[in-house]
Amino acid sequence: MSWFPVFLNKWYAAGAAALVIPALLILYFLKLRRREMPVSSTFLWKKAIQDLQVNSPFQRLRRNLLLLLQLILLMLLLLSFSRPVANHRPPPGKMNVILIDRSASMNARDAGSKETRLELAKREARDLVDSMPKNGTAMVIAFDDSSETLQPLTHDQAALKTAIDRIQPTDRVTRIKLGYQLADAQMNFDPEQYRPGIDPPDVYLYSDGRATDANDVTLRGKLHFEKMGSDKTGNVGIVALSAKRNYERPTEVQVFARLANFGPDPVEVPVQLSVDNEVVEVNGNRSQSTFLLPDRWDRDERDKYEHNGGRAELNSVTFNLDVTSSAVLKIEQMKRDGDGLFADDIAQVVVPPPRSLSVLLVTEGNFFLEKAINQLGLKNPDVLHPDVYESLSTDKRNRYDVYIFDRYNPKVLPPSGNFIYFLNGKHGELPDDAKVKVAKTPSGQTAFLEDVGILDWKRDHPILKDLDLGKLYIAEATKLDVPKDAEVLIDGLKGPLLVMNRTARGTNLIVAFDCLQSNWPLKVSFPIFLHNAMQYLAVGSDMDVRQSFSPGATPTIPRVNLQRAGNPATVTLTGPEGPQKIPVPVNGDFALPAMNRVGLYTTSPPIPQYEQMAVNLLDANESNLLPADHAPGDINAPVEAAGGAKARLELWWWIVAFGALPLLIIEWWVYTRRVYI
Amino acid sequence: MAQLDQLDVMSRKLLAGKMKGERRSKRRGQSVEFADFRNYVVGDDLRFIDWNIYARLDRLFLKLFLEEEDLSLYVLLDVSKSCDYGNPNKAYYMKQVAAALGYIGLVNYNRVTIAAMSDGIVGETGAMRGRRRVAQMIDFVEKLTPNGPSHLAEACKKFALSHRQKGVCVVLSDFFDKGGYENGLRYVAGGKYDLFCVQVLSPQEIDPDLQGDLKLRDMEDDDMAEVSITQPLIKQYKANLNAYCLSLKDYITRRGGTYLFTSTAVPFSTLVLNYLRERGLLG
Repeated sequence: MSWFPVFLNKWYAAGAAALVIPALLILYFLKLRRREMPVSSTFLWKKAIQDLQVNSPFQRLRRNLLLLLQLILLMLLLLSFSRPVANHRPPPGKMNVILIDRSASMNARDAGSKETRLELAKREARDLVDSMPKNGTAMVIAFDDSSETLQPLTHDQAALKTAIDRIQPTDRVTRIKLGYQLADAQMNFDPEQYRPGIDPPDVYLYSDGRATDANDVTLRGKLHFEKMGSDKTGNVGIVALSAKRNYERPTEVQVFARLANFGPDPVEVPVQLSVDNEVVEVNGNRSQSTFLLPDRWDRDERDKYEHNGGRAELNSVTFNLDVTSSAVLKIEQMKRDGDGLFADDIAQVVVPPPRSLSVLLVTEGNFFLEKAINQLGLKNPDVLHPDVYESLSTDKRNRYDVYIFDRYNPKVLPPSGNFIYFLNGKHGELPDDAKVKVAKTPSGQTAFLEDVGILDWKRDHPILKDLDLGKLYIAEATKLDVPKDAEVLIDGLKGPLLVMNRTARGTNLIVAFDCLQSNWPLKVSFPIFLHNAMQYLAVGSDMDVRQSFSPGATPTIPRVNLQRAGNPATVTLTGPEGPQKIPVPVNGDFALPAMNRVGLYTTSPPIPQYEQMAVNLLDANESNLLPADHAPGDINAPVEAAGGAKARLELWWWIVAFGALPLLIIEWWVYTRRVYI
Repeated sequence: MAQLDQLDVMSRKLLAGKMKGERRSKRRGQSVEFADFRNYVVGDDLRFIDWNIYARLDRLFLKLFLEEEDLSLYVLLDVSKSCDYGNPNKAYYMKQVAAALGYIGLVNYNRVTIAAMSDGIVGETGAMRGRRRVAQMIDFVEKLTPNGPSHLAEACKKFALSHRQKGVCVVLSDFFDKGGYENGLRYVAGGKYDLFCVQVLSPQEIDPDLQGDLKLRDMEDDDMAEVSITQPLIKQYKANLNAYCLSLKDYITRRGGTYLFTSTAVPFSTLVLNYLRERGLLG
């Protein structure tokens, strides 16, 4: 973008000049057709003309002054006809793809700008459509972590502008790959572009360039990166939030939040927690204070700052509080002054009413397992004999959260719940519902493994966190046929030993051996494993703090939950965008539409576990308002910094108003006074 | 006519005539008007000896009387093409003036000569006297048509050479001569003639009512002047015309002549009955 004007109609103007200027010269050199008038004598007239001319200045110029003025006037008019514009980008080509980022970071209002980045991008895109050549085509694609073609390739500028206007902001994260793919796919329809000598399509990307997949995308076509946003915009955002109930003390909730400062300067940020919009006071203070150094500072800069007497960074807050009923916890950073993005200032989490985890152990007797279960601090773990379990009434059988079957293959399963199976080495059996099959020998016997050591285990899985299983030995283990969608957590030297899979009923954790036939119960890892497993399986049960969704999530509500809500025909989803009535399919699970904005969504009628859903941004990449230096996927693409400046300035009327019109007046004056001049 | 009858041509000079007329002449002659005395010389007519003085002084003196002679009136009428211009027409106006002067001259027994000039003398009545010649004079004047270029010098020279008789010379012209009026008037101003110049211009020449881009064509020589009429140009033209008239007047008065400027818008009777009388041409 340059202040030096660019001429949009220069060839038309040059053509017009080639016609008009010679025409003017010819007209000028043609004699004026004068009316003939007889007079008695011309000598007095001639003398008068002569006298006037003698007394007039610029005699030499006199003959040509009018011509000169007319030429200048004509040139000014031609100049304005050539449509000079300042602040002009190179004109778009014949085929253009307009990619507009509508992700969360595009909702930021940059310092000194009245418009959000998205509004600015839309305005500039409309200007681009305006400056398209007559035969130019364009298409409009909006993207966040999904992408959508709002207008396929067309000549129709009005349709393009309508499509641009239709783009609505979302709070979703940026993933540019789909946008690029869509652009490529749309462009593939035109076989013309593969001809040699045809310029590749121009792709105009209106974005701040912060895409999570910026480094693994490529794009055919000539990319122009219209960089939105300024690097001076401050933003403090909550980038991580975790809230947990302790299943040992169900009323206690621990909330942990991490913040980041994406502005240019260090800031002190008060953070406040509210429960159902009531601010919680901790030690008499309504807020906790954090001190955040700019995220953009590197290690050296941080060290230098602290070395020079600056405060050390404190970028997280922890709240411990008792929540005895269902509540919405809201963490809010209170420094709103100069904060570019609103969506990351608040994070919410829905806490269901506290309930103890209820566990049922079905066993014929297992000292270690019973001991370990009892040591977990659960409120009332039940231990039942398999016969008793089978004879339980449906109500009683269904009221547990976690079922542990020790060397027993249940004939009846509750409709929902989480299950841990300990298989009986040589004779292991599993209900069909578990999906994982017990391998059979060709003769139809249960296949089993002997003397199995541990090959590896998933050390980063929550269930196996902090466990050392290296010295675990198993005498006999059932051989399992693991389907592809099941997850093997512990691999033995001869086969899988711990498998987790999910079914419609719930989560299954299958231990392929009898713990009594291993040295595991004697290891420290055994009770820890059980603790972790309880904690993990509690997730998704009523007891856990509800997970928060990221923007754009489409949660799937299991049929069970719908049944519990009374199988409604329609569900109304009310969120920051307003209520939305959605018909519910007759059978199968039910997927909610994408929740695009940050905030709290509620369902009506309330569906158990989905009565309230919190949607939080919690994405450092989106909260980071510092625009990328180069285009995602193409380091060499030209970057146009879009600012608050006017996108394009038409100059022609300035030329007419301040050049041509005054000149016309001067010319008229000269014409009337031409005898003197 | 009746008013014209009361007028006569006057000359500030006492000019010698050819014939006995009704006007005092420079010459001494026979009239009732005493002029001077002179010593008697043998052979003088004894009838003019002043006997009273002889009785008183005993010397013979001869009484001299002023001669009464006719007056020559020359009317030089410009009939060049340039006079056929304006509304009222200059040529017609000048012909009227010439006819009136001729009539006055004839009824007063003056010797009237009307000469038409353009690039020379193109017509002449010859000397006429007496009321009887009025019709002939008017007929001559009537038949004059403006034609040919102005050549005042040539015309005046020819006229002066062919009319040696002194008299009142009235030049009726617009004096628009590209060759200049000085050469022409040189012949008729001074010595022989009592010169009266009447410059006749039409209102269109005095105050041109022109507009736009024009090609002005000279009526006499078809010379073209391309002008774009503007206020300053009109102003300059008027200034030039004024200066031209003043220089003409200056030239004439310095040579003892009388200059009279008139517009054809002035009624011809006013000119003749008032202006010419005021200037002493008619009395």
